[in-house]
Amino acid sequence: MNKTLYRQRAIQLREELSDEYFILWIWDEALGAAGKPGQFYNVRALASFKDAQNSGKIPKLFSPISIYDNQGGRIGFMIKKVGEGTLALSKLRAGDTLELIGPSGNGFPIFSGKRVLLVSGGIGYPPLWYLQKELINHNQVYWMHGGARQGDIFPCDEMWTEDGSIGRHGRVCNGMRENIARYDVDLIYSCGPMPMLASAAQISQELGIEHYVSLESYMACGIGVCHGCAVPIGSKDTWDYLRVCKEGPVFKAEEVRWELL
Amino acid sequence: MGTVVNDNKKTRPNASELLHSKLGVLELKTPLTVASGTFDLESLEFFDPACLGAFVCKTITRQPKKGNPPPRLYETEAGLLNSIGLQNPGLDAFIADKLPVYRESLHIPLIVSISGSSIAEFAEMIESLEACAGISGYEINVSCPNVENEGIAFGISSEIVYKLVLQLSSLTQRELCIKLSPNVSNIAEIAQAAEAGKASSIALINSVYGMAIDYRTGKSRIKKGIAGYTGIGIKPVALALTHKVAQAVDIPILAMGGIYTWQDALEFIWAGASAIALGTANFVNPLAAPELIMGLGEFLLQQELSISEIRGKVKI
Repeated sequence: MNKTLYRQRAIQLREELSDEYFILWIWDEALGAAGKPGQFYNVRALASFKDAQNSGKIPKLFSPISIYDNQGGRIGFMIKKVGEGTLALSKLRAGDTLELIGPSGNGFPIFSGKRVLLVSGGIGYPPLWYLQKELINHNQVYWMHGGARQGDIFPCDEMWTEDGSIGRHGRVCNGMRENIARYDVDLIYSCGPMPMLASAAQISQELGIEHYVSLESYMACGIGVCHGCAVPIGSKDTWDYLRVCKEGPVFKAEEVRWELL
Repeated sequence: MGTVVNDNKKTRPNASELLHSKLGVLELKTPLTVASGTFDLESLEFFDPACLGAFVCKTITRQPKKGNPPPRLYETEAGLLNSIGLQNPGLDAFIADKLPVYRESLHIPLIVSISGSSIAEFAEMIESLEACAGISGYEINVSCPNVENEGIAFGISSEIVYKLVLQLSSLTQRELCIKLSPNVSNIAEIAQAAEAGKASSIALINSVYGMAIDYRTGKSRIKKGIAGYTGIGIKPVALALTHKVAQAVDIPILAMGGIYTWQDALEFIWAGASAIALGTANFVNPLAAPELIMGLGEFLLQQELSISEIRGKVKI
């Protein structure tokens, strides 16, 4: 059974990617066996929790971070410094302790024999890295990744930057139709900022292609209790607020009520 | 008859005796509960619920509620804003699906939190729940709009609180705990109205009005604008209102609002609380509940004090 639990694990390795991005690796065979692409953990730097407690201040919430890589018990979290939580995580070194709740969420469904297009934007990259590793032996995979500038770009098949500093100039969704036609795509996975996902969803819907999106949301508990991360999911007439942490973070693109977000 | 109590023979108490408390008709093994909507069965994967004196479920309404549009959360400098909108599956689904699971998994008293849009609807809900076994009490959330009174929240009028509580208290022998909003001009009057209506306890405080704005864009961080503010920032407010209400009524108080640690819990007990609840703390520290009870138990043992000995004894 895949139980969500609270754990503390030592960081085995820290990889520096740029000023903004880094990877924290932990080793844990049982956790590795439990995780799937698209799932995430709520993580926090134990030091930030203890420092706050010891100075009579109140610790901050955990940050939801998707699984970047998971192989042979080595679990990687690729993180971008965006707020206080990720800033505290960015100060961690090998040997420091990470607090973990997870693995949480439902993950991406895995198929075989498909012509797959991956579309990611910015910090939407990490879950697709883990996903493509699971897909690559049984599917044809083409990966487009976009970001604001060169610093947001990581290995993929086709790069896009909004400032044109590397790869193709513009937003990554601008290249979707062309690649869908060229590779006769019949399955799309995407992860990135909400407006990007909404554009990607519109394209897949127009073309009638199966599409799974992984959504990001503000979370308090990360385990399904608080209902703070809910997003509108369903058909146009019958939809409900479903929890990104529990029923998500992966949803069918056509079921996300983008017009309400 | 004729028994002489010899203090010299009094045995040293153990932590579980010192932690014992009472909330109205409920005997609590520990004074600790959880604030509605911040703790559920998923949380039990972190620790054994035996450290809790009672479990308070997420507020249920008569009909299912979709809840508010996102974003629903924002973590401020000192505490959390939430705008969940009482999303819940409704009373029938609660009774059919959730209640049996609670009965199966929890071996502590269950307090069902309910909210209604009219006195009649509250009464109807209590009547349905009275037919169900395995419920120890009700938390009446009066922070919701009253459709019979221009949509103004029940909890701001002592007259309406009195009418509501009087009717509900005639329907049940179970614990009847009225959860008060801090967003009122005189909370002591409202508490007195609840007591006059034969409530068996008072819970306070519900969330305080709060807001956050992105200074760059001017956009509200919460979709609906004004939200409920909880966590550390509201602790002094909650403490003051606990003290104020404790002066005004004789029925016990279940206090909450910014409690994270056993030290916080003690402050509220000194102020007059018979029981306390962890809310936002559950999100920040999944082990807050067992840590609180451990710390509180150790303190009481060291000082050889019981909850009942210090309750309301704040020195001013």
